Order: sequence, then C-alpha cells, then structure tokens
Amino acid sequence: MKPAVLPSPLQSLIQDEQLQSDRSHLPSLHSLAAQVQHNLQYQHAWSDLRLHTHAPVANELLPRPLLSGLPPQRLYTHPDEQIELLKEAGRARKERKEGNTSALEVKAEPEREWILPTRLSEKWTLRRLAAVFDGITLVPPEPRSVKEQERPANPWRTTKRIVLATADTDSTVVYYIVHDGVVKPRQN
Amino acid sequence: MAPDSNPVPSPLPISCITGRYLLFDIAVISHVRRTHNICGVLIGTIPNLSQQNVFLGIPLELTSEEARVLVERGHAYIVNDVKQHREGLMEMKRADRLEWMKELDRQGMEMSREALLKAEERSEKALRGKGLVGKGHGDTESVNSKAEGDAESLIDDAAKAPVAGVAPEKKLEPTFITPTTSHPPLPLAPISSALPLPAVPKSYPLFRYLHSRGYFFMPGLRFGCNYSVYPGDPLRFHSHFLATGVDWDEEFDLLDIIGGGRLGTGVKKAYLLGGEDSDAQAEVEENGLEVKPVRALSIEWAGL
Repeated sequence: MKPAVLPSPLQSLIQDEQLQSDRSHLPSLHSLAAQVQHNLQYQHAWSDLRLHTHAPVANELLPRPLLSGLPPQRLYTHPDEQIELLKEAGRARKERKEGNTSALEVKAEPEREWILPTRLSEKWTLRRLAAVFDGITLVPPEPRSVKEQERPANPWRTTKRIVLATADTDSTVVYYIVHDGVVKPRQN
Repeated sequence: MAPDSNPVPSPLPISCITGRYLLFDIAVISHVRRTHNICGVLIGTIPNLSQQNVFLGIPLELTSEEARVLVERGHAYIVNDVKQHREGLMEMKRADRLEWMKELDRQGMEMSREALLKAEERSEKALRGKGLVGKGHGDTESVNSKAEGDAESLIDDAAKAPVAGVAPEKKLEPTFITPTTSHPPLPLAPISSALPLPAVPKSYPLFRYLHSRGYFFMPGLRFGCNYSVYPGDPLRFHSHFLATGVDWDEEFDLLDIIGGGRLGTGVKKAYLLGGEDSDAQAEVEENGLEVKPVRALSIEWAGL
C-alpha cells in the first residue's frame, strides 16, 4: 500500500540501509552528516561529497563522521592570495589590451573543503574542536576518480580549515569557516 | 620620533590604587605603547568638567592583563601607591618640602611669563594685521623693545599705558602647578616593595599569546568579546579579530560561535576563540617564563 505522504528525499536518505549498517559512530551522528550532505548537494550544488569516519592519515576513528566535498566556486580565499589574484587578473587584462572598461577576470579554482556537521543544541569545547582539527589533513583526500588528474596544491593554503555546518531543528543549516590558528580576516 | 625628554625607568612602576592599575607619566605612557604594544585606556577628566568625557587625559588605566603581561616580561612592577605616598610624605623633611614648593613656584612663574609673552605676541600680530603696529599701539613697556627708540611711540605708550590690557611683570603671579607624578619629590618605589602579580580573568592566556605575537588590544565590549585585537597601533589599523578567551574544557553554545562569526564578518573582522591547552607540555620562553601553548581558532562566515 502506498503511504499517504511520501517520505522526503532527506528522510529516505537518512533511512538508507547502508547508512544504518555503518556502526562506527552513533546513528544520530550519521544521520546528521547525511542531512548536511543532502543540504550541500542539493541546496548549494556541491559535488564529490564523501563521508569520512576515520582519519585520513593515522586511520584512527574521528570524533564524529566528517564530510569532504567540492564547492561550485572557491569558498575561501586568503586575503594575501586575493591581492595576488587581483594583480594577476590586472596583468592579464593589460595583455589583452582591453583597457579598464572590461571587468577583471579573477581565476580561483574551487578547492575541496572539510565539513564538520553539528547541531545547534550541542555544546562544544576547545578540546573537542582541537581533536577534530588534529584528525584531519590540510586538504581532504581526493576521491579516486579525480586522483589521476591531481589538482595542483594551493601554496596559500597553509593552515587547516574546516567548514562548521550547524543544523537547527527546523533543518536550517548555516556554514562558518573555522581556521586552526590566527588567520587574518578577508577584506570583502 | 623625538626622544623622550625624561628617561623612562626600567622596570617601570605601575601604580595600584584601589585595585586599578594606573600610569601617570606621559613619557611612560607613550613608552609602553611604542615599545610594549600596551594601549590601556585614558581615564582622566577635568575636575570641574567631569561631564567632558570625549577627550580624556592621564592617568592611563591598564587592564589587569596588560599590567600582568608587563610584569611577567620584566618591564614593570606593581607599586602600592597609597602606602608609598603616605610613607613618603610622612618621612619628607621640612626643608625638602620647602625646597620643593619653591621649585614649583619657580616653574609656575616661568609658565606665567611664557603665557604673557605669547599673549603679547598674539596681540601684536593681530594689530600688525590691521596695520596699527607702526604707530606703536598695543606695545607694553615691559617686553617690546623695538618701539623704545622711537620717541613718538614712547609718548604714545605713556598715554596708552593705563588702558593696555596686559599686566606689568611685577604683578605677575606664578601659575599654580599640579604635577602629574610625585617623583620628584618622592623617590621611586623600591622594586623590593613590589606587589604580587595581578589577578587576571580566564581570557589571559589568549591575551598573552596574542600580545607575544605583536598584536595590540582595545576593550572588546562594544563587539561583545573580551578584546578587539589590532595588527598594529589602533590609531593606524583596523582591528582584525574579536577575541574571546575560554578554558580548554569550558562548554560553549554553537550559537556563540555563529553570533560572533557573523558579527565579525559584518565588520570585516574574524571572531577568535582561544584558550590554553591544559594537557600540553609547558614551554619555557626566553625570559624563563613557563607557558602552556594556546590554541586559537579564527571563525568567519562561509558565505553560503
């Protein structure tokens, strides 16, 4: 018999058997990660989203399942890199001899990001956040399909960063970039 | 920058009065700002215009973190100023006191004379502007010697003398001086009498960490944090961080991070959350200070 109300795509994702079978962390943490993954994929058009239950280097269990993924545009540009990119774009425009009328074409390739799924009702401490940072690498590992063409490493990416995804009970998800260290702010 | 007229003692005394850490000497205030990245807050106002709180002057109040970081790094020591003054003034000899009063009178007289000279210069300039000075108007016999050779102006002056607004020198009163510091006449407090390290809030490790990296600090209340952190002198730079210090195991709401991050990004700053790693090994700094490492996280809105 068909149910009166069809389950939402998110609900069917959370009830996915494969997700339920992964026993590395509490099911609530897995469904939270699935919710954030769903939000990134369908609301923000991210691609290559992967779930990480174990640290990429030491292969130890992470404090909770993390996600990694590729945003459609560059998510974060360090202010020093931004200056460099703008200079580069200015030079390129001069070479094309278009004068100052055409817009600057800033070329910043998107980069893979770590995502830490959290709930707004949770309490966090510095110790727990530090443990998450200790478990991750500077850049998330590339999925196998992309490995062959190997993205060049960005020399400006020198501190670990993670996208803190916080989900509220009304399914709103907000995203904040957290750097591991003192990193000067963007001048946007 | 011009060298200080009077040298700054090293280590320098910080006056502790009713639990507040104060600096009274303008040379010391500019010295700590220039060489130790300590800004403090000016709190002095005019006694009979205490509502005037836009342009405040000395004394400079230091937060307990600022006072402590200066003491820990050996640049300063804390003095119980009330005790120091009571004892110093009790033990002062009568002859010394009279000598000091005379010295103040002498300085006051000098100030009055300078002020008089300036006033005369001003009035002369104003008169010259109106083309009146050639006739000798406004000159007084005491100071201006230029006109004295001119017989005509001498007569003129004699006629005008009672009308002239400037008092002759014999009536000059010494300006009353209130010195901002009390040494001299009192000697500097001995370092052996220094008070213990100031008690500091739990945000101190983050303060010390950022201060050691050359950042400047202003109070953070207007941004809802402990400190607004500047990459250079606050008169030249915008602040980079809204810093809040927490303990390693202190629980905080994610809403605090989101609120701080959102506010910071709105004003082109990052929200900085940091604290001392209580599990880590203490490291010994070059001045022999044992310090546990501080972990700081910079938070910005992702723009998604």
